[in-house]
Amino acid sequence: MANSATLTTDTRSQWGGGKSPFSISYGKLMMWIFLLSDAFTFSSLLVSYGFVRYSFSGNLETPWPSPDQVFNHFPFLHGMHLPLMFVSLMTFILIFSSVTMVLAVEAGHRMAKKEVAKYMFLTIIGGAAFLGCQAWEWSQFITGSEAGKLLADGSIFHGANLSMNEYGPVAFADLFFIVTGFHGMHVFSGVVLNIIIFIQVLNGTFEKRGHYEMVEKVGLYWHFVDLVWVFVFTFYYLI
Amino acid sequence: MSSHTVEHLEHTESPTDMKSQIWKTFWILLAFTLVDIALYFVLDPTMFRNWVFIILGVVKAFFIVSIFMHMKFERKFLAWMIILPMVLVIFLITLMVVEAKYVDDHVNKDSVAKPATEESHDTHAH
Repeated sequence: MANSATLTTDTRSQWGGGKSPFSISYGKLMMWIFLLSDAFTFSSLLVSYGFVRYSFSGNLETPWPSPDQVFNHFPFLHGMHLPLMFVSLMTFILIFSSVTMVLAVEAGHRMAKKEVAKYMFLTIIGGAAFLGCQAWEWSQFITGSEAGKLLADGSIFHGANLSMNEYGPVAFADLFFIVTGFHGMHVFSGVVLNIIIFIQVLNGTFEKRGHYEMVEKVGLYWHFVDLVWVFVFTFYYLI
Repeated sequence: MSSHTVEHLEHTESPTDMKSQIWKTFWILLAFTLVDIALYFVLDPTMFRNWVFIILGVVKAFFIVSIFMHMKFERKFLAWMIILPMVLVIFLITLMVVEAKYVDDHVNKDSVAKPATEESHDTHAH
């Protein structure tokens, strides 16, 4: 009974104005709202991927390709059939950069400037490495295999673009470009934001301000990018 | 007591062993990803395997959001505000699966199984 009484007064004072009812700052709340809207965008992209793929399940003329026949390359190991290996490496890189990001946030709570700078730097390296991997993946996909696909007029088509590809239906390559491209664009903007915050950490901007909340906000964005990759990995490469 | 609660309202509390929690989460994510990769090679591509991948993905998402994004330590109201709209996406997925099945049945299978003339005759008869 006493417990419920304190809860009521607590709630009233929270919504009475003067402080955030969610007990987080305006900036972090808005970051959450933005991430929610961004999550809707990615959901719609992945749902349309599922829709198109499922609607091709009975199509015998242009069957949907199996991912391990398309994404089976690894740098410096030319000609070997290594499905899932390269994209797993990309996943590990992104998970690890997420860990260094959250360690930077944790160091920010302790006002440890040097540690924040160190972990922010590692996060930027991780993000850049991921982008490099994705560029390689894209170039492999666009260049295509040596065998290619025999067209009706007798010529051979290699790789993929938005209107033609050697792997399967046109929509397969289109969805690959839009889904991984949109995610890659998020990683890119995340790296740019991380670099800006990293410079501000070095300049001591947050030390003067008295808190490292900007690191937390950028951290939320960065973890979201990792979160989206979990689902891109699941739906594009595993299933 | 009340002044104590007000003090803590503006800053959400982090547990004191945050660092060990971060590393624990990292190992969980790593392990689940390795399980994903192992199952990819061990199991045949069936609907069962797809469900395992989706469930593992949701579990990984849960750990990222709750520990890395600090949601576990925020107010419950904020957590529901973010999670509830995402649950509604399941509704969209359900609708689209039904639609995709329709497209698959009526565009792909009909065009292969039945000759076009029989199809047109059928529609006239109704």
